[in-house]
Amino acid sequence: MSDERRDRFETVATLVTEPVRRFLARRTDPDTADDVLAETLLVCWRRLDDVPEGDEALPWTYAVARNALANAERGARRQRRLAYRITVVDPPAEADPVPDDTGDRVTEALARLRPEEAELLRLWAWEQLGPAEIATVLDLTPNAVSIRLHRARGKLREMLEET
Amino acid sequence: MTDRNEFDEDPQLRAILGQADPARSLTPADPQGLARLLEDTMNDAAETAGTTSGATPVRQRGPLTWLAGAAAVAIVAGGGFAIASSMGGDDRTVDQAGDPTTPSATTEPTVVTLQAPSLAAKCAMPTPELLSQFDTAFAGTVTAIDGDVVTLTPTEMFMGPSADEIEIVGATPDLRMLGGQVTFEVGQTYYVSATGGQVSACGFSGSATDSQLEQLYDLAFR
Repeated sequence: MSDERRDRFETVATLVTEPVRRFLARRTDPDTADDVLAETLLVCWRRLDDVPEGDEALPWTYAVARNALANAERGARRQRRLAYRITVVDPPAEADPVPDDTGDRVTEALARLRPEEAELLRLWAWEQLGPAEIATVLDLTPNAVSIRLHRARGKLREMLEET
Repeated sequence: MTDRNEFDEDPQLRAILGQADPARSLTPADPQGLARLLEDTMNDAAETAGTTSGATPVRQRGPLTWLAGAAAVAIVAGGGFAIASSMGGDDRTVDQAGDPTTPSATTEPTVVTLQAPSLAAKCAMPTPELLSQFDTAFAGTVTAIDGDVVTLTPTEMFMGPSADEIEIVGATPDLRMLGGQVTFEVGQTYYVSATGGQVSACGFSGSATDSQLEQLYDLAFR
């Protein structure tokens, strides 16, 4: 195994590991996140020659993580058996005053958007990616990203104004 | 590389979105665990044609065996990020290009979800007779706390459907109090009982180190 290859992988891993870990933590449960992180790094290692140079390695790796996550969730949906799930009860009156619930309203609004729109907004606001980078992650053109993102932002704003 | 001028328009909306970012309170990963993960990854013996032809590489167990160690629950200060056990992955295939891959039969965990107790519940004295009537009771170790969801791996099921994982979902702002007595911490073990999908308050649930509670459970479910 060449040292060069190891060095290069370590360079890439240093750049991508923490951001991908956060990316996954935002989108799935801790178990799946760990699993998909490991799979993503493995793909980076096996396909090291395909990994772009410099900062562009990150959006490329996000795309890998995204696909690996989709695979993991497809498998999980097919096989998980939920024993039972209970509806949420209203909190008792004497509970602490409700903290600012903006986060909840946003989470709710994101859930109501189409998945592609929600993902655009997440990549823009949480991963803080630019249009070209988002284009890499979602396999779109930067132009399409700009247009769709603009639309998605409008929809989110409307939803938040409603509530 | 990226034109951020128009892109940064609407910083307000971005900030609002930021308030819903689940990773805001994510603690840094355990550096040793990560170092091992990278090492294992580089030691991966890929005997497949994956690296050149673009065929689907088969993921081998190597990089994940450290995650699968049942005893390994990494507790980072603050308990925010737990590397949990119970990875059942066998020959799942991973393809970077996103072609559909069919995972072979992996044992996915069964998950039971319970509701946190209502703090306004009236309390009866905990007795084994009362406890034995609950439809769910177990001893479990907390593997993760994510927002208002506490995930436990049962170490012993006294009553109720057996599950690989049990989640307790909160209705109150501070989920972590069980009848005001106990705070869940990752890596610690607790007795939990529930009926009708709602966790009991009132001394029927608590830390597994509580010998009185241990006795209660022992008597109730012998």
